Amino acid sequence: MLQQAFNGLVGGAFYALLALGLAVIFGMLGVVNFAHGAFYMLGAFGSYVLLDSFGVNFWIALPLVPLVLGVAGVAVERLFIRRLAPLDPLYNFLFTFGLALILQDLVKRQYGVQSQPYPRPSALNGSIDLGLFTYPAYQVFVLAVSLVVCGAVWFVLARTRVGMIVRASTERPELTRALGIDVARWVTPVFGFGIALAGFAGVLAAPMRAVNPLMGADLIVTVFAVVVIGGLGSVFGSVAAGFAVGLVSALGNYYVPSLSQTLVFILMAVVLLWRPAGLFGREEAAL
Amino acid sequence: MKLMGRSAALAAAGALLAGCGAGGPGGGGGKISDDKIVLAVLTDQSGVYADLSGENAVKAVEMAVADFKKKYGDKAVATEIEVVSADHQNKPDIANTKARELYDRQKADMIVDVPTSSAALAVANVAEGKKRVFISVGAATTALTGEQCNKYTFHYGYNSYMLAHGTGTALTKSGAKNWYLVYPDYAFGQDMEKTFSASVKGAGGTVVKSDPTPFPNDNFSTFLLKAPDLDPKPDVIGAMQAGGDLVNLVKQYNEYKLRDKGVGLAVGLMFITDIHSLGPKALEGTRFTDFWYWNQDDDNRAWADRFKRETGARPTAVHAGDYSAALQYLEAVQRAGTDASDPVVEELEGHKVNDVFTSTGTIRAEDHLLTHDAYLAEVKPESEVSEPWDYEKIIETIPAAEAFQRPSPACEL
Amino acid sequence: MILSKLAGRPVLLAVGLVAALALPWFVYPPVALDIACWALFAVAVDLLLGFTGLLSFGHAAFWGGSAYATGLIALHSGLPFPVAILGGAAFAALLALPIGFLSVRLRGIYFAMVTLAFAQMVYFVANQWRDVTGGENGLQGIPRELFGLDLSDPFYFYYAGLPFILAGLFAAWRIVRSPFGCVLMSIRDNPARARALGYSVDRFKLLAFVLSAALSGLAGGLFAIGHGFASLQGVYWTTSGEAVMMVVLGGIGTLWGGIVGAALIVELNDYLATAGFQETGIITGGIFILVVLLFRRGVWGTARDLIAARAARRRPAEPARDKVETPA
Repeated sequence: MLQQAFNGLVGGAFYALLALGLAVIFGMLGVVNFAHGAFYMLGAFGSYVLLDSFGVNFWIALPLVPLVLGVAGVAVERLFIRRLAPLDPLYNFLFTFGLALILQDLVKRQYGVQSQPYPRPSALNGSIDLGLFTYPAYQVFVLAVSLVVCGAVWFVLARTRVGMIVRASTERPELTRALGIDVARWVTPVFGFGIALAGFAGVLAAPMRAVNPLMGADLIVTVFAVVVIGGLGSVFGSVAAGFAVGLVSALGNYYVPSLSQTLVFILMAVVLLWRPAGLFGREEAAL
Repeated sequence: MKLMGRSAALAAAGALLAGCGAGGPGGGGGKISDDKIVLAVLTDQSGVYADLSGENAVKAVEMAVADFKKKYGDKAVATEIEVVSADHQNKPDIANTKARELYDRQKADMIVDVPTSSAALAVANVAEGKKRVFISVGAATTALTGEQCNKYTFHYGYNSYMLAHGTGTALTKSGAKNWYLVYPDYAFGQDMEKTFSASVKGAGGTVVKSDPTPFPNDNFSTFLLKAPDLDPKPDVIGAMQAGGDLVNLVKQYNEYKLRDKGVGLAVGLMFITDIHSLGPKALEGTRFTDFWYWNQDDDNRAWADRFKRETGARPTAVHAGDYSAALQYLEAVQRAGTDASDPVVEELEGHKVNDVFTSTGTIRAEDHLLTHDAYLAEVKPESEVSEPWDYEKIIETIPAAEAFQRPSPACEL
Repeated sequence: MILSKLAGRPVLLAVGLVAALALPWFVYPPVALDIACWALFAVAVDLLLGFTGLLSFGHAAFWGGSAYATGLIALHSGLPFPVAILGGAAFAALLALPIGFLSVRLRGIYFAMVTLAFAQMVYFVANQWRDVTGGENGLQGIPRELFGLDLSDPFYFYYAGLPFILAGLFAAWRIVRSPFGCVLMSIRDNPARARALGYSVDRFKLLAFVLSAALSGLAGGLFAIGHGFASLQGVYWTTSGEAVMMVVLGGIGTLWGGIVGAALIVELNDYLATAGFQETGIITGGIFILVVLLFRRGVWGTARDLIAARAARRRPAEPARDKVETPA
């Protein structure tokens, strides 16, 4: 039981990382990035290609791939997202939808639809005794690392000047601008950072999940539901909802396997009935 | 001059009429419609079955045509044999429209391949309406030869019964008494689970528990963690997942080191492409049912070498099935002396198939299912893998009579 | 709006009608029916996107849901196919009630995400509930019963199905031109003002959502009868995406644009299936991105603006409108 819960948290770690990236991007740019799943997939493929073609191992891929994807994200923002930013946000949603289709099929063209092999890093091959039960080391690592990353992002947002600016411009862009702060300066780096987070989740996923071009498309709809549950404007809400949904699906798998797929969507419907803006969202952001 | 011109015109008109007669679909009578035989490969070139079947399926059918021409030379019933292809993109509605178009516009005499059950069933309905031959290779549903069977549809290769029954029976007999089944919660998985449970029980084993899993799913930990604690403790987890889900499950199975805890893994549906993508190390010792393996004997190997020269890849069992289906169709046309559907169907019914795909095949007249030997296979340990794609060891042959289900009473041709 | 001022409107309608009637003579008849069904589906999506300012990314639930309902009615009741299709459309409208009730309270992009998530839930239910839907095998062998007429030839079936599409398109046109449609557009342009004027914004949005779902259901039901089966593909989220693509490609908020977009995309898919090019997403995604970046008014909108610009040059009094660009 406790083990199942732990297990749900590991699954939730991926939701949380992806939802966090979506939330910061949405907060800063007002853009819902449909291609987020595709960048997650690119993260996993990036580490596969590094290992397969260049012999670069997991530990180097873990910082390198997100960095490269972050730069790619910056380019996407500069070249396209920015041009559509003055228009209705729907256009950027549609743009990223098209982008997701292209990225997915480009990878498919190069590597086919079969899943690619990616071994666990040898240092994390064993299992760890957590007192109450033993657990595969790699999964413990995934959970720990994502908690650290989410915590670090929270710290930056809550405790540093940069974070204050970002938070302020997320929540009250006009007012922040009026105070003489250059909001536009932070838009591009934040977008790149969000994409890097998706890539980071992808690298983490490579050793424990199937690495194939469709891995992101399958996930993104659930992550959307997670973000809706947490509250789209809320960074904390997305992370909390990510772990919560992971937990709920794991327990759902355990007790009512036949309902487990629809459970997250039922949860979303209940949350919407009760609090339309999501658990931690501000009313005016959604309504 | 004038007279000759007129008779030439008459002759031309006569030829035109004859052409019309022969061009009609189905029925007996005419010899070769449009003076050529057209084989159509309707496959999935862009979806999840692209590697299993895909564009190399077209190559396999072209190889069959080449072999047929070589065998009969001038005596071949038609000198012109054309292979056309279309991509159904893994969408049944496109499969449906394209099948119509292939029969109507491209004058296809038969359609072969069509992976994905929904697409295959949709094409079977078109084949019935158009009265043209359709040989399904690569779809798993037993409905093709069950409640949805029809006179013009044949099912080649494998189905969910063959996979589940083969693995379930053989492993239970060899000592795996207690089973924990996990199956994806959709039609294929549910079928597999039903057959698997029945086979395990039939062979004297027990299904301790059987759990549906979400589909698609990338986190199987819940089920894997629970396995060793079940009472009685299962000897084997029977996993019915396919494709990406299977890869996820096996990765996580290894992560929890269940093999060391005495819980083995058997897989319902696995193709060589899956082993390739996971790497043999991850699957070492996993048992499953296969229906053709390229490196099983010299004949298969010779054919696989030729396939590799043509395509650059090793053939999957589905590719071999496509080859055989096309070849057997052409042979049937040769025997019938016409490509009109009805006589060809008659020739195919009950025919014994002996080619590189199977030497024990029979196209059952009752339901148009090709029955043939199936094999219980095991994934080789990495140390024994001597070349790329050399992954399987054949443990046991499941004779054709036992490999497939009895003809379904629901099927009336 | 500009077009209504042009004398060309009856001509345009006549041309459209002739094109609809002549289509199966030029296009392979089953493809012609696909175009007709997708056209109505796209117009239904445009009714929300272009005229109410709501981007639904979950309309597959209604198109595919109706396909199942239509198929089940036709299979089990033996009623003529028009009854089955109307039943399917009614089912889609019913399904839209709870989904719409929960979704319309959310604005813009939030609405898109929630509808997408609900549609995915419908997909999972359809996938698991195989006794009813046939699961991944699909619901096969749906008959085309119409008083014993032989409609097996797709050429004739096109004409049997066309009245439903035309009726659906007419309904969409009526909705847009009605006082109700004007309220929708005022909600689109300025929800706060519409609320201040005393309109119950959410209730109007919900009604528009249900109507749009019913029209999608009409199209999806006919599609199921035309193909003889209903499948999971119909309720998968890519189907919603495709409908949205058609609207954007043709031109948001134009109605005609959805029809043009549907024709283009169906033809493109049909072509790609035999072109030997395997990665269709690169092409469709690429075209889509180009349209979003460069031709946001879509094919129809761009053409219309060109014509309007020419007319304006002749009669300089009339100012050109550029409001079309933003749907919400």
